[in-house]
Amino acid sequence: MYQVSNAGALLRAHRRLLSRDPSGPQVSRTVVLLGLTSLFTDIAAEMVVTVLPLYLVYVGQFSPVAFGVIDGIQRGGAALVGLASGFVGDRLRRHKEVATAGYGLSAFVKLGLAGAGTAFGAISALVLLDRIGKGIRTAPRDAMISLSTPTEQLGAAFGVHRALDTTGAMLGPLAAFGILAFAPNAFQSVFLVSFCIALIGLGILVLLVQPERAQAAEREPAPEHGTAQAPERARRPRTSLREALALLKVKRFGGILLAGAALSLATASDAFIFLVLQDKLDLSLTLFPLLFFGMAAVYMLLAVPAGRLADRIGRARVLLGGYVLLLAVYAVLLAPLNGTGLVILALGLLGAYYAATDGVLMALGSAIVPDDVRGSGLALLGTTVNVGRLLASIIFGSIWAVSGIQTAVAIFAAALVAAMALAALAFVRTREDLAHG
Amino acid sequence: MDKRARVFVVLVLGCVAVAGISIVTAVGGNKAPAAAKDVLTAARDADRPSLVFRNLDRERPQTYGQVAVADLPPKARRLVPLKCERVTFNRSGSGLCLTRGTTFAAAYRARIFGADLRVRGEVAVDGIPSRARVSGDGRYGSTTFFVAGHSYADLGGFSTTTTLIDLVRARKIAELEDFTVTRDARKVTAPDVNFWGVTFAKNSDVFYATLATGGKIYLVEGSVSRRTMRTIHPDVECPSLSPDGRRIAYKKRAGAGAKRWRLHVLDLATMRETPLAETRSVDDQLEWLDDDHVLYGLQEQIWTAVADGSGKPRRFAVRGDSPAVVRW
Repeated sequence: MYQVSNAGALLRAHRRLLSRDPSGPQVSRTVVLLGLTSLFTDIAAEMVVTVLPLYLVYVGQFSPVAFGVIDGIQRGGAALVGLASGFVGDRLRRHKEVATAGYGLSAFVKLGLAGAGTAFGAISALVLLDRIGKGIRTAPRDAMISLSTPTEQLGAAFGVHRALDTTGAMLGPLAAFGILAFAPNAFQSVFLVSFCIALIGLGILVLLVQPERAQAAEREPAPEHGTAQAPERARRPRTSLREALALLKVKRFGGILLAGAALSLATASDAFIFLVLQDKLDLSLTLFPLLFFGMAAVYMLLAVPAGRLADRIGRARVLLGGYVLLLAVYAVLLAPLNGTGLVILALGLLGAYYAATDGVLMALGSAIVPDDVRGSGLALLGTTVNVGRLLASIIFGSIWAVSGIQTAVAIFAAALVAAMALAALAFVRTREDLAHG
Repeated sequence: MDKRARVFVVLVLGCVAVAGISIVTAVGGNKAPAAAKDVLTAARDADRPSLVFRNLDRERPQTYGQVAVADLPPKARRLVPLKCERVTFNRSGSGLCLTRGTTFAAAYRARIFGADLRVRGEVAVDGIPSRARVSGDGRYGSTTFFVAGHSYADLGGFSTTTTLIDLVRARKIAELEDFTVTRDARKVTAPDVNFWGVTFAKNSDVFYATLATGGKIYLVEGSVSRRTMRTIHPDVECPSLSPDGRRIAYKKRAGAGAKRWRLHVLDLATMRETPLAETRSVDDQLEWLDDDHVLYGLQEQIWTAVADGSGKPRRFAVRGDSPAVVRW
């Protein structure tokens, strides 16, 4: 169950970063702090995600399938909330406060779960609130990162965030299973510990991350990057919905949205990919989580180098290169070969694919969307990709059910080639391939 | 350090402390039942009669379904590290715990445990656990599982598997459907036979159970060694033999095809039926508290009624079901 959710986690557009010293390789304090916020929040979130199906089936005696259906509906709802929160952050120019609301909501949901006992209605409501919190926080947090990062370091900053975020996603299940191994069925304890960890993440954001005005001031003395903008921004009227919607008419942004949509529609969820690999290896279900950990470890290690590479040779190139890796994963799945080596190869390719695409796409978007509507723009891009991948999962599952898994992979491989051609065309037209920004 | 950083440090220390305490408490709380492993052997050594049952405390979900042990009459309960859908145990020192595996897909198992509460063997079973009994000498056990449907209410709408288990070797002996059944000296060959609710006699070779066929319900008496059964009385479901071996407590449908049951006691010498004072519908296999009282689970509580039909039902223990009386 949690592998599916981790696929969801990977769908989330996470991005943040920045460097106050444009010449140096390090990203700024704000990006690292936001990355740590994500790390702790993800540990907390994945702890709950890992045990929730067990807990619900255990106390509620209802089927995992029903849980999956509810889960899907709630994800859809969270995506819409994300669009709104991106816009609200832009309008109030208070991304930090909006993000805090999202992180805070999710943290206190954990406390609620610890006290909810077995009341199924209460648990469902809390899970929904958690999704809403997730929806609220993503876009404003991404906006904060991109707004406090020089454009030419966006890739590296996103890489740092994704590496930290993925670390959290790996530690969460370990923490949850660790507690349950020593205290079976101590779900309340898992929720309470999850709450404590989430609170630390929230504390980093609230207490240590500087508010945007301070960040703007911080950025001001930097000699090269739109510094005159900061005082100007503070005086300007609030962003209107019309301004946010005008984003859609920005041609370069439209091109990226189109590319993101097409590519995500041709992306099989890693949950499906793991299932095929498991099938190939005849792997026991208990070893199944290892596939996720292998993939996540590669992703974690490569996220920063991939981001740096994107900053240097062009984000669109690295993004398309990442999808070449995904195509290679499809090829491995289709190959009439078996064996552990093949599975390790596939996991490595998949991890590298995530490193080269997930944060890089957001860096690409951040470089184009104007500061005033950064939250709205990133929310739109993130939501487009999320909805695309959700649809892709439904389509993949349907083809699998009707025609078998080989057919599904083959169709997705063909679709991916077409989507890459379309994306390359869009990037060339907007000259994204050549410019950093 | 500025003020915010100091507040953050305090927050982190507080969180670590709360998380640490929570984990230590949970692990410690899990160890407490482990220490309770000797609760049954201690009761046996002290010759204290005990009640073994399922704890159904919904306010502490992590303990829901956990086996509990209490002295008779039950006041304080001690939880033991076994979780079951149905549990039985008797003075022989053998018990059965019908349990679900820890993963979604795992089938149910009948786990055989002793007075030390250690599981010493298990038998894989399919279906939804319903009844379990152990013979007085601990040689045989019996389980009933629903393989289709999940309620006894809709006669013809469910199917059960009743299995006899060799508790010493932890092996299936047979399913009751493999035995030869006779009714009025004629062999029953109908394919629609269903058996449920075994109870063992003092001579553990002899058992009683319920047979349903052709929309009718019978009490059967059987022999494990001869692999035979014969019908002896109509309309007896989930029989439970009294400690003196002379009566059977059971549930009886309120009418043909009815989905409600009334509790009765059948005198095996005279075949006289006595309705008990409990007027609510009870779907359980009764347990004898002593020769004069029966116990049963109803709405997650354990109740007692007088076996001669007098008096009123009384609540015997809260938040529990599947009672098993152990008189050493």
